[in-house]
Amino acid sequence: MDFSFQDSISKILHSTGFVAMSPGQGVMIAIALILLYLAIWKKFEPLLLLPIGFGCLLANLPLSMMANTNEGGLFNIFYYGVRHEILPPLIFLGVGALTDFGPLLANPKTLMLGAAAQIGVYTTLIGAVALGFNMQEASAIGIIGGADGPTSIFLAAKLAPHLLGPIAVAAYSYMSLVPLIQPPIMRFLTTEKERAVKMEQLKPISQTVKIIFPIASTVIVVLMLPGVAPLLGMLMLGNLFRESGVTARLHETSQTHLINIVTILLALAVGSSMTAESFLTWNTIKIIVLGLLAFCMATAGGVLFGKLMYIFSGGKINPLIGSAGVSAVPMAARVSQKVGQETDKSNFLLMHAMGPNVAGVIGSAVAAGVFLSLFGSGDAGSGHAAIETITTVTTSLGQ
Amino acid sequence: MSLILQSIQVSILSMLVIFLVLGILIGVIKVLVHFLPYMAPPPPPPRAQAPVANASGSSQDDDHIAAIHAVLAHHLGKAPHEIQISNIQTL
Repeated sequence: MDFSFQDSISKILHSTGFVAMSPGQGVMIAIALILLYLAIWKKFEPLLLLPIGFGCLLANLPLSMMANTNEGGLFNIFYYGVRHEILPPLIFLGVGALTDFGPLLANPKTLMLGAAAQIGVYTTLIGAVALGFNMQEASAIGIIGGADGPTSIFLAAKLAPHLLGPIAVAAYSYMSLVPLIQPPIMRFLTTEKERAVKMEQLKPISQTVKIIFPIASTVIVVLMLPGVAPLLGMLMLGNLFRESGVTARLHETSQTHLINIVTILLALAVGSSMTAESFLTWNTIKIIVLGLLAFCMATAGGVLFGKLMYIFSGGKINPLIGSAGVSAVPMAARVSQKVGQETDKSNFLLMHAMGPNVAGVIGSAVAAGVFLSLFGSGDAGSGHAAIETITTVTTSLGQ
Repeated sequence: MSLILQSIQVSILSMLVIFLVLGILIGVIKVLVHFLPYMAPPPPPPRAQAPVANASGSSQDDDHIAAIHAVLAHHLGKAPHEIQISNIQTL
């Protein structure tokens, strides 16, 4: 075999990623670096944007085989958990274990605020259709207004997997911007007198009610909307771990190690879906714009319904808690507290806002369930892809 | 245009379903809270008064008091007669 130093150098150079890099990949690497910058230096949802950004970086380095579409690649395997609705429900398990439903149970009327805030989902749906998306895509984009990352990923993976990357990035980016997006809308839609309303102290709730509620609500909601079972079921199971008092270890694991591990897998999988071919399109720009519309409309919907409750309650409900109906637990509740204290420093709205905040989580899961009932493949509740695959694997192992 | 009309119909229908589902949950919560009201936990039983050591205590107590007395005096750098232990409670 002839050895030529020049040929060898040339071969080595041609086997590197530099030669294989396309302009699109260069742009995506820049976007990944921006996400990392926002996560690390600007502290924008760092727990999610950092692994998403790094997943995007790896996926766009040429020849790395780290894109979610590279069969057999590491992130292709991680992405399995998104495609087969495994990871988002596990995140919900952790959220349920972390969340106290007490404020919601003490003031159940606030569930209506969680429902009203879903108006952001539907105005965005209409906007997305007007911009040329089909109903499935528009539904997946609209759910960004639920301000709930796992729900957005869950629905996008089911209805519009090709839009998963931009939808997840828009959802998490805007969630991190909730403290900037919401206050101007809240101040604009409320009067100083309304913002100054001090709400009555929440009454205590018996432990038995806290235990029965997740069971009863799972039965009722899943019977009505079977498609919501993976998300709502896991949310309520996590909460039951918390409230039952007999599963301390499971509760501890769900709210710490499990949710952290799943967050890493989910965020890397989402980041790996952000390839140049899927992300650098006009649709991405449309989704980013629609995502902002979704958050604004959801906030406005919650606050306006809060004003309605203020009127009907004879001024006992502070409309600022309505903005917390956009999920984003507990950041949206903190924003209600902060804006309320701008008017009256002695006003403490945090616990009152936690009611609609939790209601927002349930509301966005229900909204996703409605979309799945209308536009899903009809397998919800009975023949999930994951179950089919597991059955296949079990069968082949048995043979 | 028909797709936009369809999306408006979907939106109205979905909002109705969401309000219905969450409205039912409100009813469930109200029923649960009504039939299972919160009951404050009973106050903890008052702690039994610790027996006060007195001159008629056992000789073992006397030994303990003497030992504590001596150690305290040594620690504070005072003569034992300068320290008076007036009350001892068993924990």
